[in-house]
Amino acid sequence: MKRRTIFITFVILVFVFGGPSSTAAKEIKVLSQFPMSGPVGSLPEFGWGYIDGMNWVNGEGGGVNGKKITWYLEDFRYNPTVEVANFNKYTAEHRKDEFLMATGYITGGLKPLIEKVNVEEKIPWLDGSYSTEIFGEDGGPSKYPYYYSLGATYGNQIKVLMKWIKENHKAEGKPRVGFVYSPTAWGKDGTPEGIAYAKQLGFDVVAEIEYPYTATTATNECMQLRKVKAQYVVYHGYSGAGAYTAIFFKTAKKILKGVQLMGTHYTTGRFPILVAQEAFDGYVGVATRPFNDAVPRSKTTMDNAFVKFAHDFAKKYRPAEYEKGLKAGGIKDMFLYEEGLTYALMIQKALTEADNKYELTREGVKKALDNMVWDFKGMFDGKAFAYKSHTIPMLRMFKAHVKMVKMGDKMVPTGGLTPIGDWINTDEIQW
Amino acid sequence: MIDLLQTLGSGVLVGLVYALLGLCIVIIFKASEAFNFAIGEFLIIGSFLFYILFFNETIPWQKALPLGLLMFVFFSFVLVYDKNLRLRMALPLGLTAGALTFFIFYSGLKLPSLINSPILRFVVALPLGLLAAGVVGAVVERLTIKPLLGRSPISMTIVTLGLAFFLRACAQLIWGSHSYSFFLDLPDITLEMGTFLFLSDPIWAGILSLLTFGLVIFFLFRTRWGLAIRATSEDQAKAMAFGINARFVLLMVWAISALCIAIAGIMISNFGALSVGMGFVGLRAIPVVLIGGMDSIGGALIGGILVGICEALAGTYIEPLGLVGFKEVAPYLLLLIVLFIRPYGLFGTVRIERV
Repeated sequence: MKRRTIFITFVILVFVFGGPSSTAAKEIKVLSQFPMSGPVGSLPEFGWGYIDGMNWVNGEGGGVNGKKITWYLEDFRYNPTVEVANFNKYTAEHRKDEFLMATGYITGGLKPLIEKVNVEEKIPWLDGSYSTEIFGEDGGPSKYPYYYSLGATYGNQIKVLMKWIKENHKAEGKPRVGFVYSPTAWGKDGTPEGIAYAKQLGFDVVAEIEYPYTATTATNECMQLRKVKAQYVVYHGYSGAGAYTAIFFKTAKKILKGVQLMGTHYTTGRFPILVAQEAFDGYVGVATRPFNDAVPRSKTTMDNAFVKFAHDFAKKYRPAEYEKGLKAGGIKDMFLYEEGLTYALMIQKALTEADNKYELTREGVKKALDNMVWDFKGMFDGKAFAYKSHTIPMLRMFKAHVKMVKMGDKMVPTGGLTPIGDWINTDEIQW
Repeated sequence: MIDLLQTLGSGVLVGLVYALLGLCIVIIFKASEAFNFAIGEFLIIGSFLFYILFFNETIPWQKALPLGLLMFVFFSFVLVYDKNLRLRMALPLGLTAGALTFFIFYSGLKLPSLINSPILRFVVALPLGLLAAGVVGAVVERLTIKPLLGRSPISMTIVTLGLAFFLRACAQLIWGSHSYSFFLDLPDITLEMGTFLFLSDPIWAGILSLLTFGLVIFFLFRTRWGLAIRATSEDQAKAMAFGINARFVLLMVWAISALCIAIAGIMISNFGALSVGMGFVGLRAIPVVLIGGMDSIGGALIGGILVGICEALAGTYIEPLGLVGFKEVAPYLLLLIVLFIRPYGLFGTVRIERV
């Protein structure tokens, strides 16, 4: 009798505390994917920034009103197929009421997931893609209601460059603009809008050149631009870290003397200073984030609150990697680390607002994002943005200053990108 | 007319670098009938070896130590088994090679502080870098190709495919995936006359490639070792019967090939930057050797120049018509045309096999 009582009590206890229970607390789950390896290089910084950011969110950051986020991180190796497969795996394995947000990083992954994300799953998806096709006038919230970009579209980036030319063109006659772009979805995106806008402004579009990643020289391309007497050259669709960027800038500097070289977000950064060195001096480009990592790093101006926050954050949570910098195992470019951190902060903000005002569901998170007005911890020097267009619509123009100095027994480049204008909100701009 | 001359000139200069890449494929093919698909990876490694000497780039001891050990084992092995040295002689020599490798990788040669002039530093670093690249070629041959001697050349070719992945992964582990700035600062010999312009870097690339090509031909046709290589490539068994050490000849061929690829890699890196991702440049050698003929040294030169010109013409005259990206395809179209007319390439030996 006694033994039977003990057995029944044990079984009841197992059911109450150990077994599956409908009363178990609902988890908050998010999936993030970054290209940390693959053809763009080895970029673990994305992951480091995200991991540190999410750990901070769940700890000091207070989670989602005290609730912790269960987060998953995947390296999709710059391969859209992997990005899609990972997302499918997670949607199959996790409940819709728990798996509330997902993030990706490239246009190539967004396109095959249009139906899955926007119709089947209806899950808010943040992305690093600045695709004009997805987030521009022909796409946007009405067509892709669950897609959100963390930056202004390439089309708007190139249009801002054209606007800058219009305001700063001093030579006689119409500005003569050449476009050099990569033969990728990324390179071709935004270029037609930019060209159309240039023509609308009355510019002469004198060249449209595809320059591949596999290029060994850029002599032909630069000679072509010289022949048509281009005064401004827009270089778009390339990673600043690529050898092809160094080839183009080194060749252009010699062949295209006096020509203003310009570019979009991923060229307006630290890597071209390191690989193209003085050939990058004088470059004018547009970026969706503040410039955050001078060469050497110690010379970075900390005027921007978010840049200072990110550097302090990295120093605290990744001291060794921050210190190593360009050496193996270091944070080569703070932009990459900050990008991971940016996603973590955006996820926390969206989930917390959903928890506060709406409900902690996919629809609640969507409403929170749609109605979000935020200064992103001072990222845009005090200006706030609204997420109604599903892009963070902020852009700023920068100019590169690079100088070679002797350091020990080596000549090394020093410099950075200085703002040459205020932040522009492309949702409010009068084109 | 000036446009055409400009385009042809640019094409020839780049074509000479491609010709050098083609030569590296041809000499290995002649010696072993294998096609080296790892050419791009040899290009990366050769360029990085030069880079660490010229720019005094160093790597952590954890990465330098295995390389030093590998060199120690390799040199001791080759000295004992190929050169029949006694172990007590071979081991210290191997140890010296290993220690030297570790030292250079770990702390660098400090050439920039010893030699101020970039041209002088280049003159010193280039032979050392090429020597290192040659040693890598020899190590690879000893570990992967030699065990396949006597087997079908297809086996060797397949091994080079695997080797490509392995070497690329090794290079990525050692140097990472990001780009390294690459400025040789050679004397400026830019040619500019009105609208006619040839930049200094491509001219240097053309000159050095042609010079290397000439030296390899001199070595093959005017030296005893060259004669041994040619004899081995004619008939391995007969060459061995005449006392030629065919195993060592093959090792030497791989070393020379790796050395030449390194020169091409250095020149191409100087156009832009150096990164593990630039291995694809090696694939340019495929149309070069197939157009020129797989076993023709002169064919490699002509094939390289043709591919260079073809790319330049397509880039200047066809792409602006709206056929963007045609430049990349043009050499392969040319290859198809050549193969339709001459299946063994322009200068390849026509093989008649009895069935």
